[in-house]
Amino acid sequence: MKTLPVLREKKRYIAFKIISENTINRRELTEELFDSMYSLFGDKGTSEINPALMSYDGGFGVLRCQKDRTSDTRAALACINRVGGDSISIRVLGISGTVKGAMEKLIQQSIIKETEPGKD
Amino acid sequence: MSMFNAKFYDFMVHLPDEMDSIISLVSAAKEFGYSGIAALNLKKNRTDMNQLPKDFSIYNAIEVSGKPSKLRDEIRKYKDTGEILIARGRNEEVARAAVETERLDIILQPVKFNNVLGKIASDNSIALGFNIGSIIHTRGEERVRELRIMRANLMYARKYDLQMVLTCEPCSIYDFRSPREMAALGSLFGMSLKEAVDGMSTVPLDIIRKKSTGHIQEGVEII
Repeated sequence: MKTLPVLREKKRYIAFKIISENTINRRELTEELFDSMYSLFGDKGTSEINPALMSYDGGFGVLRCQKDRTSDTRAALACINRVGGDSISIRVLGISGTVKGAMEKLIQQSIIKETEPGKD
Repeated sequence: MSMFNAKFYDFMVHLPDEMDSIISLVSAAKEFGYSGIAALNLKKNRTDMNQLPKDFSIYNAIEVSGKPSKLRDEIRKYKDTGEILIARGRNEEVARAAVETERLDIILQPVKFNNVLGKIASDNSIALGFNIGSIIHTRGEERVRELRIMRANLMYARKYDLQMVLTCEPCSIYDFRSPREMAALGSLFGMSLKEAVDGMSTVPLDIIRKKSTGHIQEGVEII
């Protein structure tokens, strides 16, 4: 059964870019992401953040979180510095209210900027 | 206007030796939203520095370390060179010697900061540094200790009106974090958004201004 609209929890979608020498696969990233969240906020905090990796293609990704916990999610993303044996860093491109917005406005614009560095 | 439209600086960057690595580090810093850095091991008289982007500033910083007596001598030696002087507060003795010596700019992450040190640091206008990199690179018990130290330091900084500086102490392109992430990490130990933004923009700019040759010291009147 669908949740009543008034009871539906508001979510935010964080678009991010992975900066790494080698490509990180989805399973490795999800494990590291949850590990970082458990380490920072524990099981209770992670359940409140309600994270989920919505999309990931090896370079860019979209992470879901609760509306009022975006700062905590940013902190957990910033704490990821190593996946497997590789050093990585995650750069947040922006936060959107819909997956579509995160994909089209943030990720696609970032790719366009990278390919055409002269144009802003 | 968003708070994050300011110019941001990181004051404790370890630069690599090779020029290619320096260029990639600088472009990473620019991509993450920084307008300038202060490098700890910048070699003076480098001829190839003009390869770096013109709209990015690199300042020289020096980390003074050692026993309390050596630390005082080092601060006195470098005080008029215009370089940013940073001391790491490894223990109470070193932190005390550092804050007591005038012209030091930043005392980074002092381990046992207290009201006495807070008062002296306030009198000597020394900024209190928070090493956000220690939250990123540690886990478990060690990170708990770092967070506890930062929480206590923040309390003294508020009480004695100390300026606060945030750094993530980057050594490579993977160590940079954008100002918004730094503010989010700062919120883990209770730092407000404004304090975090000031610690990366206003306070570093103030330190740069103080170090410039035309600066007139507080308490001096031109007749």
